[in-house]
Amino acid sequence: MRLHEFEAANIFEAIGIPVPRRGVAGTVEEALLVAGEIGYPVMLKSQVLVGGRGLAGGIKAASNQEELEEIAEALLGSEIKGSTVRNLLVTEKANISKELYVGITVDGYSGRPVIVASTDGGVSIEETARTAPEKIASLQVDPFFGFYPYQARTLLRKLGLGQSLLIAWADVIGRLYHIFSQYETLIVEINPLVVLPNGGLLAVDAVLEVDNSALSRIRHPLPDWVERIENPLERKGREIGITYVDLDGDIGLISSGAGLGMASMDIIGEKMRPANFLETGGGITEELLYRCMELVMMKTDLRAIFINIYGGINPIHEGAKGVARYIREHSVKIPIVAKALGNHQEETWDIFRSVGVHVVTEAATEKAVERLFELVGGEK
Amino acid sequence: MGILMDDSTRVIVQGITGRIGSIQTRWMLAYGTKVVGGVTPGKEGSVVEGVPVFDSVEGAVKETGANASVFFVPAAFVLDAFLETVDAGIKLIVVVPEHIPIHDVMKMRVYAIERGVFALGPTTPGILVPGKGKMGIMPASLFAPGRVGIISRSGTLSYEFAGILSESRVGQSTVVGMGADHVVLTNLVDILRLFEEDDGTDAVIIVGEVGGEQEEKAARFIQEKMTKPVAAYIAGRYSPQGKQMGHAGAIVRGSAGTVGGKQEALREAGVEVLASPIHVARFAQKHNLK
Repeated sequence: MRLHEFEAANIFEAIGIPVPRRGVAGTVEEALLVAGEIGYPVMLKSQVLVGGRGLAGGIKAASNQEELEEIAEALLGSEIKGSTVRNLLVTEKANISKELYVGITVDGYSGRPVIVASTDGGVSIEETARTAPEKIASLQVDPFFGFYPYQARTLLRKLGLGQSLLIAWADVIGRLYHIFSQYETLIVEINPLVVLPNGGLLAVDAVLEVDNSALSRIRHPLPDWVERIENPLERKGREIGITYVDLDGDIGLISSGAGLGMASMDIIGEKMRPANFLETGGGITEELLYRCMELVMMKTDLRAIFINIYGGINPIHEGAKGVARYIREHSVKIPIVAKALGNHQEETWDIFRSVGVHVVTEAATEKAVERLFELVGGEK
Repeated sequence: MGILMDDSTRVIVQGITGRIGSIQTRWMLAYGTKVVGGVTPGKEGSVVEGVPVFDSVEGAVKETGANASVFFVPAAFVLDAFLETVDAGIKLIVVVPEHIPIHDVMKMRVYAIERGVFALGPTTPGILVPGKGKMGIMPASLFAPGRVGIISRSGTLSYEFAGILSESRVGQSTVVGMGADHVVLTNLVDILRLFEEDDGTDAVIIVGEVGGEQEEKAARFIQEKMTKPVAAYIAGRYSPQGKQMGHAGAIVRGSAGTVGGKQEALREAGVEVLASPIHVARFAQKHNLK
């Protein structure tokens, strides 16, 4: 779960990382009030959970009341990369003498936390990584040994810093690592970490993503993960414990497993367009597949449903019963093609056939998609 | 032949008294796996599917001579059980459960590697050696004995590939689910190495997916070290960028880990890149695989 900048900044502040004076505003009037308290000029920052919001025009400076009104009016309610701006973070505008970068993330390949620092922070950090790798230093941490402050100093020495900046920056890294372990984050990042004219540091942005698998044991207050999912269908998917991604095609998809789901989308996508991605995870039950049918059918104008499941953890005929019950109760008219293999597959096929589902018994998803295409053809 | 296990591997099931642990024990036994014991703290003395249950891994090892373990332990307790299992001297561990916190997985990985333990998962269907045995949840009906090795990041896609090969009368030496999470306990390269060294394997199929660096690193290894033919399929071409597709490992972050990038790296290493799963049958035919 990614936090909004204002939520992450509060966590940074509580742990002693210097952050700008700021306030959250949901209306132009609130923005005026916050700016009045802070004093102009201020920054207005759209609170959306997408990367690159600055380049997309979601961050603007206002030097007086008139400018603020105009900008806040335009930003609030606008869309940035598909996300609606509901709140603005209004902050003091820092005097920047230098922009640094620091982030801690999980390196998937080594399976270790990695701390990354650069003296060349700001919007072009990824470009710097490609063109001037000497300006970036990184350090892997042993997850058992944990982090000690000397590691941050060792890391920063590689960047050839003066002593006072090195000590202040190492202190920020120590606090950031504390957040990384306390909040079990996948990533925690400050870009830019600003050096002020007086030599002090200020975290001008705050990125923090918590590991969803750890949400139930993190001992700090966090926003509700399900509530913040904007798309109502995706939210309902999360409520029933499956992964649903809303797409704009007209073929409903139910699959067991992310890999199989993605492969199904790839194959369907050759000639038709999926309306959604849905993966049940392991442990298919009658109730779960009934609810999956309910969810997929909430989308209007579907032309067909494609079910692609394997029974590993549970016998799959239980799941088939859920699909059949839904079809009977709601007299579903659109064609349904199902490929279901694994434990209790023959019973599963019988159940599907009894309610008119087109069953494909071969292993290759391509064969089942061919069948689907025979039934419904290409795009409308 | 095959890799990692055979019909003499002595397996314990951790979390054997749970609903999934007990039904999977029945299916593993039915497939011929030598399941010699189970572990659930507090349940010593009970018997599940004719298999004795122990309080501790150490006790189970002492009484049964077990040398491998498969996990059906609730996610929150996996780290603890894993460390216990490594300390008890078990050298092969299959971690089936999903949704294990990544900060736990990082610890498990370091602990296993430093002690010479080969571990798979999390979020893996496990290992299956056709006709010999299985550790995990792979549905037996799709597999047939033969000489093709399969390594898959996705559980259900490993069944799909084995199923397509079996229907074309091409068997498998071993099917390995390496786990679908962002961090896995053993990387793709280390499994490829075992297949390269295995006398019972003539070719290897890699079933990858969008995200991470596993396939890119594997490409380098294949180019430098592998002599056997390799084919690869990468799922996720039409997955919307930046949207989570069920597993942390499948998150698309920026340009790294794209389907196209992986395909290119593999192709340059001499791997036959399969545009769609069904093409694996043609690959098998071309190399006269059995």
